[in-house]
Amino acid sequence: MRFMIMVPGNEESEAGFLPENADRDKEMFAKMGKFNEEMVKAGVMLAGEGLQPTSKGARLRFSGGKTTVIDGPFTESKELIAGFWLIQVKSKDEAVAWMKRAPFGDGVVLEIRQIYEAGDFGPALTPELREQEERHRAQMTAKRQS
Amino acid sequence: MRFMMVVIPQGYATAAPGTMPDAGIVERMTRYNESLTKAGVLLGLDGLHPLSMGARVSFSGGKPKVTDGPFAEAKEVIGGYWMIQVKSKEDAIEWARRAPMPDGDIIEIRQVQEMSDFPPDVQKAAGR
Repeated sequence: MRFMIMVPGNEESEAGFLPENADRDKEMFAKMGKFNEEMVKAGVMLAGEGLQPTSKGARLRFSGGKTTVIDGPFTESKELIAGFWLIQVKSKDEAVAWMKRAPFGDGVVLEIRQIYEAGDFGPALTPELREQEERHRAQMTAKRQS
Repeated sequence: MRFMMVVIPQGYATAAPGTMPDAGIVERMTRYNESLTKAGVLLGLDGLHPLSMGARVSFSGGKPKVTDGPFAEAKEVIGGYWMIQVKSKEDAIEWARRAPMPDGDIIEIRQVQEMSDFPPDVQKAAGR
């Protein structure tokens, strides 16, 4: 089973990496690097990324056939994300056990979500669509490795 | 540059465990994924089961606390994402515009941090 874990954003992540916080950030990177190393060695970690502040992002709202683009920052949103992991484990309990060991300080709340696998969709994923989906995945893997 | 297109479907915060997209959406999404693949921009994509099947880990006082879903106060819940490689934020927005989203959905576009964005000592601290 694959799970996605969302790391929430806050004022600090929204400010980006500032030179005056370099020492603190370096310490955080070292802790994260060690935690990631453990997950990689255990064959659990598939991906992990950090996201730039929402000030560098945009939102598209789809409504009535029209699309509205709003540039960041999205300060009104309480549910910002600053990064994520993708992990492969045997159960939700195992995903939770890994994340309890993540090096976070007080106030951080991680969200753990199971990823849909092709087999979950039942007849909605016709053999043709499934074949196409598998081809997309093969090409994405090739692109990531290029 | 890599961008994550994060999907926030309307109403997904209250989706019941086991909720599945219907055949029409799966077909439209697969066609859109095909266009991203053909253009050579697609790096990854996934759909997420409802939050009601998920869990939260809260860190406080050195002890992580686990709470299982559903979460009544959740508003903007992520339904899935695409990871794409394009030349600019504008390109990312153009791709997002073409996504076959139902009314009320939101796509949030976020640039991904690259290791090369950081100074050498930070890269070293991260084990690169």
